[in-house]
Amino acid sequence: MHNSKIELVLSRVQKPARYLGNEWNSVHKDHLEMAVIMAFAFPDLYEVGMSNQGLKILYESVNTQNNLLMERVFTPAVDMEEEMRKNNLPLFTLESATPLKNFDVIGFSLQYELSYTNVLNMLDLAGLSLYRSERSSDDPLIIGGGPCTFNPEPLAPFFDLFVLGESEEVLPELLLELAVLKKKDAGRKEILKHFSEIEGVYVPDFYEPIYNEAEKLLKINNKAVAPGRVVKRIVMDLDDAPYPTVPVVPFIQTVHDRAVVELFRGCGRGCRFCQAGYIFRPVRRRSAEKIVAIAKNLVAATGYDELSLSSLSSSDYPHLDQLIEDLDNKLDGDRVKCSLPSLRLDSYSVKLAHRLHQGRRSSLTFAPEAATERLRRVIRKNISENEIYSALNDAVTAGWQGFKLYFMIGLPTEKDEDVEAIISMCRDIRNRFRGRVKGALKLSVSVATFVPKANTPFQWEPQISLQEIIRRQQILVEGFRKIPGIDFSWHDAETSFLEAVFARGDRLLAPLLEKAWKLGCRLDGWSEHFSFALWQQAFAKTGIDGAKYSERRFAFEDCLPWDHLDCGVERELFVRENKLAHSYGEEGGADNV
Amino acid sequence: MYRIKFLFSRSRSLAYISHLDTLRLFIRALRRTDLPLAFSQGFNPHPRLTLALPLPLGVTASNEPGEVYFEAEVSPEQFISELLYQMPEGLQVIKAIEAEPDSPALAALVEAAMYRAELRSFEKNESLNDNLGDITEKSLEKLMQKNEIVFTKSAKKKKDSHINVRPYIIEAKRDTQTGGLVVLKLLLKAGSRGGISPVFFLEQLALESGDESLNAACWNLHRECLYYKKGDILKPLSERM
Repeated sequence: MHNSKIELVLSRVQKPARYLGNEWNSVHKDHLEMAVIMAFAFPDLYEVGMSNQGLKILYESVNTQNNLLMERVFTPAVDMEEEMRKNNLPLFTLESATPLKNFDVIGFSLQYELSYTNVLNMLDLAGLSLYRSERSSDDPLIIGGGPCTFNPEPLAPFFDLFVLGESEEVLPELLLELAVLKKKDAGRKEILKHFSEIEGVYVPDFYEPIYNEAEKLLKINNKAVAPGRVVKRIVMDLDDAPYPTVPVVPFIQTVHDRAVVELFRGCGRGCRFCQAGYIFRPVRRRSAEKIVAIAKNLVAATGYDELSLSSLSSSDYPHLDQLIEDLDNKLDGDRVKCSLPSLRLDSYSVKLAHRLHQGRRSSLTFAPEAATERLRRVIRKNISENEIYSALNDAVTAGWQGFKLYFMIGLPTEKDEDVEAIISMCRDIRNRFRGRVKGALKLSVSVATFVPKANTPFQWEPQISLQEIIRRQQILVEGFRKIPGIDFSWHDAETSFLEAVFARGDRLLAPLLEKAWKLGCRLDGWSEHFSFALWQQAFAKTGIDGAKYSERRFAFEDCLPWDHLDCGVERELFVRENKLAHSYGEEGGADNV
Repeated sequence: MYRIKFLFSRSRSLAYISHLDTLRLFIRALRRTDLPLAFSQGFNPHPRLTLALPLPLGVTASNEPGEVYFEAEVSPEQFISELLYQMPEGLQVIKAIEAEPDSPALAALVEAAMYRAELRSFEKNESLNDNLGDITEKSLEKLMQKNEIVFTKSAKKKKDSHINVRPYIIEAKRDTQTGGLVVLKLLLKAGSRGGISPVFFLEQLALESGDESLNAACWNLHRECLYYKKGDILKPLSERM
């Protein structure tokens, strides 16, 4: 299947199985018989991309259509890129080793801002011009989907269109439509005009941001037939929605190497920092019968020995204990263990986890996010200190040997005492429970930095400055140094800063991205590849002030770069939630939770 | 407990997965069948499947032995026919037999392995191939005349250890019956009692030649056969099944 050039290159790179494409359940079709062929491009390494549930859903929803084909491609690792460039090997899809340029559509999955340079790198490796304006009607249509499309503005000049929201229905629709337009020999402009009328499709060319002399965004004008606001697409009934039961089973171990069944979509908790909690609204459940049926099929089609019951907050699934029992009964003969990825910090969740992890009880993961009750109110993570300790107590009683705890710094209204409370809370947990486990209590603490995201109540909030992030991290480093036996780690300040720049960025950032990529930035999400020095060069050379983006506080009446993109949540709700958060501000605020 | 021994082959399209990935692939394929896999005891029960000798990354094979245990009786025919539909292209079970539950483990029997190394010729350039053939032969001769070839094993916490692997090279010669291709036949000691990797051997050969175009990545490696020892004689492991 592979040509001799690919053979040669594969013999020289690490983990060549990343590029094979003949995995179990991979789909191979004759391109000549297809009406439209699409490459699904995941802008990160194979191991990360193959863990993405969106890829699996779309792969199956497109490939079950007779005349449509979707193949996969991932960001090549650095050694592979080097070999490809040296040997003039253009980026190819895994299944058929077809150069990306030959596809009708290339669809990028935009999961996090730090993958943006990979997007550009992949376009370049495909032999395509980065900017939409420099590509012709013969080039593939470059489209994007995923959470970042709720502010894709920094990428807008590179893309033909974005799909907002859930794509499993709209994508096959789009491709079938394209088949018709292709037959009519429609040009690029005509095609885009057509697509801009489809709900959930955002064609950036048809929107023009208007700035004043100070580069302040005044408004966003829509052109042609494009709607003033693009409203996201959602799938209303999960029981009817396509769900992958025959997913590709990778040859090599991936980040999440297991069968996944989605319990529900959306999250009703409304934590104010959490973008997923808003953009995936409303909450839609899959019925227990459907879940069991999917699980059964998944296990039979893949041979996986682990089944993950996924959602944004799995313990919120009604009668989850009953569902787990049903799954146990149905799957026990297959020796499959179930796992719950996102547990709430309460006694009910501990009980569930206890049930699932019989035998192996190393550590249990929880995310209190903030260590003071006041700050937890600000972010609407409404859980009291008592509840936290009683859940941890239950876990220790049930035999767990330790905890993994996630916190955030830099949240709106945070003061040094909130940061210091992380240290004292962890010290407290250690002192309370260390005598109660066999051996040493395993306690690991991971601290991320708050990144304000589009379409959340905190979208107007600034990120704290880079210096301030480092200063607060230093408080933690010093504090944890004095407590033995706690494994403390923190997210790189520079990557959190960049994330904020792009999460709240606009189209003026496109040249910055291009410059950073040209200077050699790629795989920025990988600490071994990330170079802030290169990014600083890129900022300097393009004259863009990153802090202006990350640290700016928008006023409620300001035009936001993503104001024309609608995630289905009323703006008034965001305003109300933001004001409510600040009411718990410095003095403790209204106490009505 | 029932035990099946089997032989499988691995072709180019699946040569680039590691030993652990190959094991995982077999186990998932078996789990997709209705065969009554036997599991180990303990907190993390796993299927009892072993392959006689790990296949290095990039190496194809034609007669690799493996074994697996079942809770209930499984006939070799049933084993092959059920697995047939669950194996990806590039990995194929070619033979299976019933085995005594307590006969020695295959892995413990492995003594040596025969490899075929073929120099890739990407350009159809015969004179270049001739030339490389000569260089290969000369370097091979020099390498085999050495009394000591040191392999340095680095361990994470311990000091590096140095092993003379020259005695592990039982035989290495050029196969001349290949119509202009540069092909080596390597019989190397292998298994738990010491051995040498064919990739390491080819790296040493490249060093000896000083020629970049002979580096280990330029060879297609194929494992033809594993051997066990009967008295002083090496016999193909596949003959025991």
